[in-house]
Amino acid sequence: MALNNLIVTPPPHLKSKEQTAIAMRDVLIALAPITIAALVAFTYNALFNIVVCVGSAMFFEWAARKIRKKQVTLKDGSAAVTGLLLALLLPAKIHWLNMIIASFVAVVIVKELMGGLGRNIFNPALFGFVFILIGSGFLASWTGHLGFLPAGFDGVQTATPLAYIKHGLDGAPSYAALLFANYGGAISEVGCFWILLGGAYLIYRKVINWVIPVTILATVFILAYILGSDGLYHILAGGLMLGAFFMATDWVTSPMNRWGQVVFGLIIGICVVLIRLYGGPSGAVAYSILIGNAFVPLLDRVFKPKRFGEVVAA
Amino acid sequence: MAELKTFQGGIHPPYHKELASGKAIKPAPIPSEVIIHLQQHIGAPCEPLVSEGDRVEVGQKIGEAQAFVSAPVHASVSGTVKAITEATNFTGAKVRSVVITPDKDQPEFAKKPGKDLEALTAEEIREIAKEAGLVGMGGAAFPTHVKITPPSDKPIDTVIVNACECEPFLTCDHRLLLERTDDIIAGARLLKTAVGAGKVVFGVEANKMDAVDALRSRASSYPDVEVEVLEVKYPEGAEKMLIFALTGRKVPPGKLPSEVGCLVQNVGTAVALYEAAAWGKPLYERVVTVTGPGVREPANLLARIGTPISVLLEACGGLVGNPVKLIMGGPMTGWAQPDASAPVVKGTSGVVVLTSDVVDLGEESECVRCGKCVEVCPMFLSPNFIVQSVRRGQWDKAEMWGALDCFECGCCSYQCPAYIPHVQYVRKAKAEIAALKKK
Repeated sequence: MALNNLIVTPPPHLKSKEQTAIAMRDVLIALAPITIAALVAFTYNALFNIVVCVGSAMFFEWAARKIRKKQVTLKDGSAAVTGLLLALLLPAKIHWLNMIIASFVAVVIVKELMGGLGRNIFNPALFGFVFILIGSGFLASWTGHLGFLPAGFDGVQTATPLAYIKHGLDGAPSYAALLFANYGGAISEVGCFWILLGGAYLIYRKVINWVIPVTILATVFILAYILGSDGLYHILAGGLMLGAFFMATDWVTSPMNRWGQVVFGLIIGICVVLIRLYGGPSGAVAYSILIGNAFVPLLDRVFKPKRFGEVVAA
Repeated sequence: MAELKTFQGGIHPPYHKELASGKAIKPAPIPSEVIIHLQQHIGAPCEPLVSEGDRVEVGQKIGEAQAFVSAPVHASVSGTVKAITEATNFTGAKVRSVVITPDKDQPEFAKKPGKDLEALTAEEIREIAKEAGLVGMGGAAFPTHVKITPPSDKPIDTVIVNACECEPFLTCDHRLLLERTDDIIAGARLLKTAVGAGKVVFGVEANKMDAVDALRSRASSYPDVEVEVLEVKYPEGAEKMLIFALTGRKVPPGKLPSEVGCLVQNVGTAVALYEAAAWGKPLYERVVTVTGPGVREPANLLARIGTPISVLLEACGGLVGNPVKLIMGGPMTGWAQPDASAPVVKGTSGVVVLTSDVVDLGEESECVRCGKCVEVCPMFLSPNFIVQSVRRGQWDKAEMWGALDCFECGCCSYQCPAYIPHVQYVRKAKAEIAALKKK
């Protein structure tokens, strides 16, 4: 009998179809609607951002793995996801050097120097974004002012929808506009309907579960109303939808257990509203998720699942 | 339809029961030699009662238990003892074994005159189980007489017959349920008497409704026998999961089912107990499902203990495709074999041959903390943190995250997108923790 090829491994001998690379591919598929919408709205400007961010993220990961003498893991798709998310967070008119810097910080410092995919505490794309947000202040006016570089860049001069949150909603985009239209801001702020579509796909594919996004959105919605602001406007405007479905749900940087995820969502939701109402208008979601990220190791410990049949001593 | 009873967590692997579920049990050929391990159960090994050159008759006791937690072994064929030697068992361990060359003609087993099963006392049933060498036939092979001797301060009210057969591919219990329905019920009621329980509950997964119907129609005359349909989910047949699904009781960590008034026995064990009590037949043969995409004609074979699995594979028309895994037991918890030489033991429920097109040997990559292992773990452990602790050599942390509560069902590894072999890490943790506790 032909038994020359027998492989001996420990059980189980069956494996589900789940693979990290397939999950990352699903994230890319889920980002397709919003990416297409961004390309339609910003044409070659968006394309340029995406090419620079994805390309540099992949290059930096390749280079970092080579220098660390580790297996190159571009195949798992996580660098591409990081690059694309970063691109989607940025406005159309931004100097390419900002993107390269953000990409470097995201991939090399936040991910690879922490030990690579799976060991990073903070969401790489968000950290890279926040780094240039603070470092260059480019979002402060959306005029393309570049802290790292000489000013004089040709930018878009419109108030972002988030500016209205602090100064009243007169003249702000309608809910329908927030859902479907291009109203300025990051290139992903071209209708959160497309993000919802992608989020639904991720939930359908079981790449993410609904707990984190729903907790965040519900928290923001309710808290905004409590504090006298328009809750619905809050959850439709800015980067909240993208953050809730695509960034806060990042496997590596979110809690593993249900209740941990709920508290994580609460922390992010509360931070978003407080920063938006009492802080600066830009980057609230990014800051909030990074703050949430910092709580993850603690949440994993505190909400360690209770073993089957375990009785808690009274 | 109302929701079926089940447990929390678990997975839905591809089952492929159709390969063998329609195949009636048939006797396997008698091999040119049988290799009977003197230890094929949890507990102490047996001492041989025969020596080289002795003649033995089928059913004759050839190994005597030396401790309470042990079970005697019997000759599975009539023939001559060729050797008493070390042989490799299905786990790769060397165990003392009796090798018998069978006679050309094998006699039919002579049934002993029937006993009145209703009149047997608990003590008598335990003795019968012990003498017949009964062990749990679902795979763990825990000596039955020990299991049906519960501590006196823990009364048992419910005997649960594990008819889930939640392991993919395997169908031996399914066939027994269909072909030996009355005997299983009789065996189960003997178990009930042995532990003084009030009722017998059969837990059957919903993919065996023909077995449910058979059980229900045959059990209708017994008010003390219930048949429950359970959701098809792995590991529904794990002892603690099954008890929870059927009774809502949770066996505490580190405790036995008697803690919550339950006894769980496998279908095969119930049949074996019936045969031992009614016919005086010791456990020397069992039904083994030989199946998988690599087997030409999958079958449910009644094989003598000690039959090398190569003989079973030949009886099924040999192999097809490109077989890369030969598994003794089910594909979720069974042991991969380096060759087909290991003999059938009392706990062998199946021989599964997987081909290269169904075996996914992805490369282990970094944990991405997706939490799927936590989601599927039926014991509510954190498999990823156990793995992390083992990698760092932090044995106290491994225990804190639940390494000792893991019964190695393999759901975590099945689901893991990073191909992490959690079960292997857990085994390492258990060994290290045990070694530390000895100090």
